[in-house]
Amino acid sequence: MSAQTQAPAFSPAEERALSSVLDEIIPPRPDGRLPGAGELGLVGYIASAVEKAPDLRPALVQGLAALGDLAGRRGSEGFATLSKADKLEVLNEVATAEPAFLPGLIFRVYAGYYQNGRVLEALGMEARPPHPEGYAIEPSDLTLLDPVRQRPKFYRKD
Amino acid sequence: MSEQPVDVLIVGAGASAAAFAWSLAETRMNVLCLEQGDWMDPNQYPSTGMDWELRGFGDFGLSPNSRGRPEDYPINEEESPIAVSNFNAVGGSTILYAAHFPRFHPADFRIRSVDGVADDWPLDYARLEPYYALNARMMGVAGLAGDPAYPPKEVPLPPVPLGVLGETLARGFNKLGWHWWPSDSAIATEPYEGRAACINLGPCITGCAQGAKASTDVTYWPSAVRRGVRLETRCRVREITVSDDGMADGVVYYDAQGVERVQKAEVVVLACNGVGTPRLLLNSRSKLFPDGLANGSGLVGRNLMFHPYAMVTGVFEEPLEGYKGPTGCCIMSQEFYETDRSRGFVRGYTFETLRGIAPVSTALWGMSSGQVPWGAGHHEAYGQLFDRTAGMVAICEDLPESHNRVTLDPELVDGNGIPAPRIHYRLSDNSRAMLDHAVARGKEVLEAAGAKQTHAEPLLGIAGWHLMGTARMGTDPDTSVVNEWGRCHDVRNLFIIDGSIFVTAAAVNPTNTIQALALHIADAIKQKLENLFD
Repeated sequence: MSAQTQAPAFSPAEERALSSVLDEIIPPRPDGRLPGAGELGLVGYIASAVEKAPDLRPALVQGLAALGDLAGRRGSEGFATLSKADKLEVLNEVATAEPAFLPGLIFRVYAGYYQNGRVLEALGMEARPPHPEGYAIEPSDLTLLDPVRQRPKFYRKD
Repeated sequence: MSEQPVDVLIVGAGASAAAFAWSLAETRMNVLCLEQGDWMDPNQYPSTGMDWELRGFGDFGLSPNSRGRPEDYPINEEESPIAVSNFNAVGGSTILYAAHFPRFHPADFRIRSVDGVADDWPLDYARLEPYYALNARMMGVAGLAGDPAYPPKEVPLPPVPLGVLGETLARGFNKLGWHWWPSDSAIATEPYEGRAACINLGPCITGCAQGAKASTDVTYWPSAVRRGVRLETRCRVREITVSDDGMADGVVYYDAQGVERVQKAEVVVLACNGVGTPRLLLNSRSKLFPDGLANGSGLVGRNLMFHPYAMVTGVFEEPLEGYKGPTGCCIMSQEFYETDRSRGFVRGYTFETLRGIAPVSTALWGMSSGQVPWGAGHHEAYGQLFDRTAGMVAICEDLPESHNRVTLDPELVDGNGIPAPRIHYRLSDNSRAMLDHAVARGKEVLEAAGAKQTHAEPLLGIAGWHLMGTARMGTDPDTSVVNEWGRCHDVRNLFIIDGSIFVTAAAVNPTNTIQALALHIADAIKQKLENLFD
């Protein structure tokens, strides 16, 4: 084990805010068939991404701090305790004030969400990587080529 | 430190080097290849893990500038709308290529004669045809005989499956009466020469964990090494050295530990691609060659050709199972391949259909194109895209232009301090017109196939996959760098075998032609061994 212990990517307060933001980016599907991003433990996934690429951190932390500030001005203890409508307003305000915040976060949320096994199964796929099982494809209908086969050679010979 | 001299020293271990080394091995000459990358471990390829899509943007990304691999060298692309895409490993860029494996057309070698533009090659299709056939057997090409766009050709393996997506698009082409055909693909669709059959993983372009795709680390190289060729990895060549009589006599390189070494050789062969080769020649300045080695014509680095790509994506109502199957290989169309000046441009393009995109890529494309919002409308918008997209690219013939070139960057260097290449490239009016035509026709065929929406990228900026023309072939030393069998006019024991020597680019993926040329050059060397330097 390494003698050095890496500091966690986010403080507990930042993690709470982040977890709450995730469900605003990808909320649960109303029919329940797809979970919200907050349910899937993506905070850990994003923290891991930040640990691998620390240059992602400043924009995320600044954005989360701005969410907290704006929530405080609305009399809330934090972003997580805002009403649904207030969360959306605050998130849009921060998106304007901190333009680097949401694009980077959404990229990571989308990536983490759509490689999650639960989500893949809900989309009708299997919860596995492509290898080693691969995928079966039905034999091709090469009669579709019949009209092309009727065509004379058309490459230039001159 | 100086190593024992070798008979033949090859720099680079990609598509051309592998074919060349394999061919030359039968001579029992002492052949050594130095490669700056490593052997790849297929067990580590992205398709083996759940994060496979995202790794295609990371350590298996297209750009050496963002991949973060120590074996890569940086490339200054500030003056180019197209970014270079390559890979440095045993197998070179075949590790990441889509394995589209078409041949040139016969007329592609004679476009000055047939269309009055650019130059004719100093060799023709008939000269290369036996090497195309040999290469098809060595790489294991899948396809279907009888394509009316080509002369008869050997295809050892059955074509990749069309799938729902391919058949859907084929119906669109048929509706318009346009040509299409299953793509020639360097993919083992059946077990072939010790390689497992393709199981439709999808992401060929981040390495094939199955070993079905013909990257040269699983085709030519194992055989070449068994036949006695030595291949040393993590060796980055800085310059080619010359003797007092103006012959190449070896190279200076850095080993894996960064130690400077010298390797002497009777013959030096460059196989570093259309950017790496001119970079190395321009870095090999000396009293005898103050403008770079083999550059008496001033053409080293000039006439850089990419293939400008346009991309059109259709969104369909029904699922297309597009995440199944080789991502870049399905069907192609050469309806607009030959010159028709009424279209407003000379020469033409090939359409290549792509499979659909997988879940993460769908979301990210939806985000970047504004189709998949975050928040309340997310799931509905995503559901309209996922597994309902089919892409088509048009690969356009680029014509050689002297101002499109590779030079050395005055400041940027690689991890060993070697000056990096700089790309100067402007898209021509001819290419622009061709791309616009392709976008319009691409939308037309996608709509004919049933697409309810189409989205176009008129120039795919990431698509600098094909690097050609920067040390062109010809018979006149004033207008070319190498002769018709790859020997530099100025340095008679220095050969170039990669895409640098292309005279023109055609409108097809170049790997098959690069390797056919390498096999041709190897045979020429074998036939001329007695008087190779005359």
